Amino acid sequence: MLGRRDVLGGGLAAATTALATPAIAQSTKTLSFLTWNIIDQEQLIRNWITAFKRVNSGVEIEWMDKKGPELPPFYQTQLAAGTPPDIIDIQGELWAEYAANGALLDLTPHMDEVKGRFNQDYLSGWVMDGKNWALPFYIAKTLLFYNKTLFAKAGLANPPASFDELLAQAGKIATSENTGFLTLNFDWLYWPLFAMNGVDLLTPDLKKPAFNTPAAVEVVEKLARASDSGAVNKISWTGRWVEPNGAFASGTVGMLHAHSASYFFVKGQGAWVSPQTLGIAQAPGFYATPTNHGFAISKGSRNPELAWKFIEFITSDPQAGQLATNRQILTGNSNVDRALLARMQKEDPLVYSVLETQVEHTDKLVGTWPLPNDSRVKDAFWPELQNALLGRKPAKQVLADAERRVARELSRA
Amino acid sequence: MTPSALLRPLPPGEGRGEGDTARPSPNPLPKGEGFLGRRRTRQSALIACFLLPSLAIFVLYRILPLFWNVVLSFQSWSPTRPAHFVGWDNYQDLWSYDDVFWQALTNTAIWIAAAPIAIILALAIALLVNSDLRGAAVYRTIVFLSYPLMTVAVGIIWRWMYDERGGLINWALRSAHLIDKPLGFLGSFDLALPSVLLTDIWQVIGFYMIVLLTGLQSIPPHLYEAARVDGVPAWARFLRITLPLLRPSLFLCAVIGLLNSFTSFDLVYIMTNGGPGHATELLITYIYKLGFGQTRFDAAAAVTVVQFLLLLVLTFLANRAAGGNAGAIEH
Repeated sequence: MLGRRDVLGGGLAAATTALATPAIAQSTKTLSFLTWNIIDQEQLIRNWITAFKRVNSGVEIEWMDKKGPELPPFYQTQLAAGTPPDIIDIQGELWAEYAANGALLDLTPHMDEVKGRFNQDYLSGWVMDGKNWALPFYIAKTLLFYNKTLFAKAGLANPPASFDELLAQAGKIATSENTGFLTLNFDWLYWPLFAMNGVDLLTPDLKKPAFNTPAAVEVVEKLARASDSGAVNKISWTGRWVEPNGAFASGTVGMLHAHSASYFFVKGQGAWVSPQTLGIAQAPGFYATPTNHGFAISKGSRNPELAWKFIEFITSDPQAGQLATNRQILTGNSNVDRALLARMQKEDPLVYSVLETQVEHTDKLVGTWPLPNDSRVKDAFWPELQNALLGRKPAKQVLADAERRVARELSRA
Repeated sequence: MTPSALLRPLPPGEGRGEGDTARPSPNPLPKGEGFLGRRRTRQSALIACFLLPSLAIFVLYRILPLFWNVVLSFQSWSPTRPAHFVGWDNYQDLWSYDDVFWQALTNTAIWIAAAPIAIILALAIALLVNSDLRGAAVYRTIVFLSYPLMTVAVGIIWRWMYDERGGLINWALRSAHLIDKPLGFLGSFDLALPSVLLTDIWQVIGFYMIVLLTGLQSIPPHLYEAARVDGVPAWARFLRITLPLLRPSLFLCAVIGLLNSFTSFDLVYIMTNGGPGHATELLITYIYKLGFGQTRFDAAAAVTVVQFLLLLVLTFLANRAAGGNAGAIEH
């Protein structure tokens, strides 16, 4: 049984501990670090954190990873609560919305320290109003994968060099079992199909829609006809990630327009994939839409300097190199990417072919409009376009409806 | 003492032993004197103490957000901007410009209208398994099995079954020579909503069946015997005995169906995410997209208010249809 002295002693010890705890806490700086669907690299990220803490004593880093659709809602609720994570990994054009709404820290003052490290075309993908809002984590853009076996069966020797040739080839490949062409459609990834026909979404000042043109009507009509005939697989307009990649991996689709990450999915599921059967090419006109991941710092960060130090650390050559090696992915860090390409050329020529497309023609990146309401514009445009592509409404009407809706969203911004 | 015993007023002087809070005090205070002096007041205080934690949670998580949501629907707000009052702008936007809102409202209405179909099917199954059918218990279990499954799992399984390339349904239809080309059920503007609805009906029908079966089994058999003796035909027995006595169970199914129409987020999100276009968009999925996809929490709040009012009206009508006392506790 506890005596009075024991109780008093215990109480005193507890009080001392309680009083001492804030003092310890005050000497520790904490960073929260939010990544997007990269839990497979847990060990690597934990190693980075350990290494960073080793050279920055008294720093604690809380790492969280969220799956694809979960990250934006999570970040927004954290913003609303006034407790955004210090560092956030953002995909696509979402950064522009956050930056325009004052959620992100302008990194421009720090850029001189690191600017030379990165591929400038990719780096410019995070610039809005002359300010830089993120550093590259890993990068990718669209390319054309093609099934050489189906090409040979259809009597085709080379991948298409124009939009019309692409549809013609797709038509030749299509049978009752096979379809000719498939594209991913999220984050404007289908936009090269319009860009290669000279269609742009917005005017150069990003103030008005520019897509409702006779050329665009023609493109949509051709795509709708091809979708109806089976030349273009309808999953292009309905699927997300798993469905289109899975369809191509099954070996029944002639071409897949997707970004480099699709290769690993297709390779994982398609037993037929080899350098002899899988062809790699740029899309006609060399147009491509990037879908990059970048590190940004929340404006509400309590330790912005430390947050900068951390992203500067994890995007530097050694850390970026580890990521590139682990994932066989380009990082936007020029030295690291060059080294990875050189190694892949010897070790895995197919991966090399895929990655090589990612650093070529980076002056022809399309489908990236730094809009403060990108997701709203996307939602105003895409469902309307689906109506035409799936044969529900005529192209002319769809583009007129989409123009009205996009114009409204732009005016609200 | 049970909560129901606490609720029941005790006759004066009826105490049931030591510690009983309802026991009359040996020196009762004069009527109206002292805060805890009167038995009824003490009972009320005790009831309030029991209710307080639940009420606090209810107010904190239901009433306050509801109130804040209404306020938000009259504001322009995002997590990174301070709110400012915009009057009816968000509602005007919905009414005049937002085609997707009207599409989602129509789809939600269709979803509500599909609930009676599920209830009729469930009633038919309940009547079958309530009969002398051989193996009725097995059929009952099989039909009910769909209900406890996680909706996310149901959505994924049915999405595979509807798949255009390797889906079971397309395979079955082609094997039976009912179709030449595979159908893109979830990718078609015309087939997507019925396909998702069918999945929803499949999942919920087991629950309806159990509710209706319980109702059927609580009907006294002697009513049927008397009717049979009087030569009442089967259809008349069903219309005059079964249906009227099943009314509470049918009402329960209807209310659950109604609530289900407003909360079927997970199934739609998994199977079609509201697409193609907005062909399967429901109000609940649109609210989510507005808030978390487009950062338009103010517009999402306005849609939420519309959905809430719609639910309120429909529940009121359902209550009236059930005689006006649905949910009342009968002593």
